[in-house]
Amino acid sequence: MTVIDTSQPPSEPARRVADFRPSLLLGEHSLCPGCGEPVALRVLLEVLQELDIVQRTIGVVGHGCYGSFVRIMDVDVLQCLHGRAPACATGIKRVRPDCAVFTMQGDGDMANEGLQEVLHAAARGEKITCVLLNNGVFGDTGGQLTAATVLGQRTKTSLEGRDAETHGYPIPVADLVAGLRGAAYVARGAVSTAGGVAQTKRMLRRAFETQLAGAGFSLVEILTMCPTGWFVPAPEGPGYLGDSMEQAYPLGELTTWRH
Amino acid sequence: MERELVVTGVGGQGIQLLAKTLALAATREGRHAMLSADYGGEMRGGPSKASVVIGDRPLRALPVLASAWSAIVAHHRFSEPALARLRPGGPAILNLPLVDPASLPAMTVYGVDAAAVAKSVEAPQAIGFVLLGAYNAVTRLVDPASLVAAMQELLPPYRRQHAAANARALAAGAAALDVPGADLTEVSR
Amino acid sequence: MTLELLEGSEAIAASAIAAGCRFFAGYPMSPFTGLLENMSRQLPLAGGVCLNAESEIEGVNMTLGAAAAGARAATGSCGQGIALMQEAIAEAALNETPFVVFNMARNQQDYFQATRGGGWGDYRTITLAPKDVPEAVEHVQLAFHLADKHRAPVIFYGDPLLAQTRIGVSVRPLDFGPLPPKDWALDGTGGGTGGSRQVWTWAMGKATDPGPGPDRHWRAIAEKFAAIDAIESRSEQAHVEDAETLVVAFGSAAKFVEYVVEELRADGHRIGWFRPVTLWPFPGEALAAATADVRRVLVFELNAGQMLDDVRIHAADRSAVRFIGGVSIAESGLAYGELMDAPVIRDRIRTALSEGGRS
Ligand SMILES: Cc1ncc(C[n+]2csc(CCOP(=O)(O)OP(=O)(O)O)c2C)c(N)n1
Ligand code: SF4
Ligand SMILES: [Mg+2]
Repeated sequence: MTVIDTSQPPSEPARRVADFRPSLLLGEHSLCPGCGEPVALRVLLEVLQELDIVQRTIGVVGHGCYGSFVRIMDVDVLQCLHGRAPACATGIKRVRPDCAVFTMQGDGDMANEGLQEVLHAAARGEKITCVLLNNGVFGDTGGQLTAATVLGQRTKTSLEGRDAETHGYPIPVADLVAGLRGAAYVARGAVSTAGGVAQTKRMLRRAFETQLAGAGFSLVEILTMCPTGWFVPAPEGPGYLGDSMEQAYPLGELTTWRH
Repeated sequence: MERELVVTGVGGQGIQLLAKTLALAATREGRHAMLSADYGGEMRGGPSKASVVIGDRPLRALPVLASAWSAIVAHHRFSEPALARLRPGGPAILNLPLVDPASLPAMTVYGVDAAAVAKSVEAPQAIGFVLLGAYNAVTRLVDPASLVAAMQELLPPYRRQHAAANARALAAGAAALDVPGADLTEVSR
Repeated sequence: MTLELLEGSEAIAASAIAAGCRFFAGYPMSPFTGLLENMSRQLPLAGGVCLNAESEIEGVNMTLGAAAAGARAATGSCGQGIALMQEAIAEAALNETPFVVFNMARNQQDYFQATRGGGWGDYRTITLAPKDVPEAVEHVQLAFHLADKHRAPVIFYGDPLLAQTRIGVSVRPLDFGPLPPKDWALDGTGGGTGGSRQVWTWAMGKATDPGPGPDRHWRAIAEKFAAIDAIESRSEQAHVEDAETLVVAFGSAAKFVEYVVEELRADGHRIGWFRPVTLWPFPGEALAAATADVRRVLVFELNAGQMLDDVRIHAADRSAVRFIGGVSIAESGLAYGELMDAPVIRDRIRTALSEGGRS
């Protein structure tokens, strides 16, 4: 009995998973080895493709290492000012309500420079999806303290580690947003493990489904590795994330909207 | 010919509404009108001032009038700066007894006890419309029917019930002045 | 042509909508507030969206987003509020997003802000300064046209007199000629085609289709503004032929100056006036020509002398330039002070006339 027909050669050549590239990726990223942001980009693009909304999607990208993704994502994109992506996305969505509109921002971009923008967009129930790539540092500028840096973490502007007395406490953006009525879907994932990547992808999918259903604002906070900004070897990034950020920022869905 | 009116009084006398009514009446007659308001936050008893310019061609007048041909003086308080700009000889309607006719020696002065007239036609709130009716009887800047129509157009829905009283006030203001007319014919259009 | 008695803010809102503006976001600040309120009343009736933004920074960035998506969009404020918007106005100039910024200013102290800007980079903002409400109605539509024509933010410089004076005007769509298609606008359809669009100050393009990059892009932007400078300046003048004295003023102040100059001419003075209609591009060549044969160039503006710099740069002989304006604000801080008044302006001009000029 033939379970699988092997009389013909495979339709596609064998490849390693790492070689697979979603067709929306136009080229190689230029970020550090071990960086978590390209993983997040990849699952985001896969979700757009799977939802079949590629040709009605507009992205708004903030300022951080992920800013260079503007060059490699085959999506209509506005590169906006530091922190202002939710406001720009609001303007876009209001004049193009049939488009899926998302932002891509880091913790410096969203929790520092643009905390007001994301909170108000959420409170307005703006039908956009904000994606926060939280690595707990300003990666792009070389690893300084952000509002999301966890207590104890060393950065170039908290050399002895973040202590609350001097630097205050970290801001859990997803939790803040989840407390607002206009937020219909809020979740926090991490791309430090294979399971985490799969979970994050499901979260992004639900966030976009929430937007497409017109239910309200959605946000997915994604914990990403920044071995460079954390001053740890690239292979240790995922473990470090699990020991530090994941302890301060528990993973899971905080607000879910049901059909 | 451009005609300028300054209206001066205190908040609560209906200064802004009477000026707006005149400007709208002229506009509805197809003429050019400009209205500048200047009031201290619409407080009751605070200064309230407005100016109206009416003409048959695009207006040359400035939004801060350099000088004015005519005046309605509803209250003597705060009136000095406006009165200083009047060109001698033009008509001035004064609200008696609040305003002393001697304060305007160079003008052709018409006095009307607006509060008493308003009360006599059971429109005690419509002092401004009494003064406007009197002013228009003297100057004939617009058709009296245009004033009534403009007044009605400006009333918000929740004040519609005042329309009849306001119309009575406009008519009573006009009737309160026995205007010779002849010396003012040049002001009619 | 039927005239409607409209407050300036109401007329400006109606004109913006007649121009096709469909998105507006702003944060209250007097005397801009009237425009915001009128937009929020009128725009939804025209199928548009008006948002009471949470800050000027959000308002201008929402507007930038709507404009990047291809809509005619506008925001506004005055003074400090416009100061908060400078980063985004500069960004829009550099990433070529066209929208209109209504500066319903409290006075004329925003001249430097409008013409020099506080953002970064080699950019300029086309700035229209109407003298009264009827001209404002026209300038609103011209502002949207120029924004789209040059893919750049345009500033409309108003003031309390323009915002609050009620006057008979007629608002209808005005045609300023054809415009290039907005094929650059983000509509979402580029995704997955390999030709997705981007609006990006750095203009680096996509990996598969590299853009010019910042060096070439910013040089091109600088060249674009140089070209705008050469073709878009506007001015008005009168009595230059026989004038010994020329008074230069902009916006509402120019209307007052025009009024006073006509009076002084009736008294026999050889005097004329010149009005920059665009503050940037400053009508420098026209001013140079107008001042070639005059003895005095008097500059009247309600600030400490801001346009004065541009007049000095362009006047045929800068030693003939005298400043007769000054800072003048009402007690409330929200409107002009007593300097914006014909008798006061007449006194200042007469005093200057009695002083010598260049021979
Ligand atoms: C107004 C402004 N301030 C500062 C910067 C400099 N800057 C560029 S990226 C960045 C930090 C970004 O941090 P984050 O958003 O966390 O992104 P990451 O690089 O960590 O992914 C900063 C501060 C800027 N571009 N604009
Ligand atoms: S600095 Fe950090 S966030 Fe930036 S590319 Fe490197 S690892 Fe990624
Ligand atoms: Mg970061």
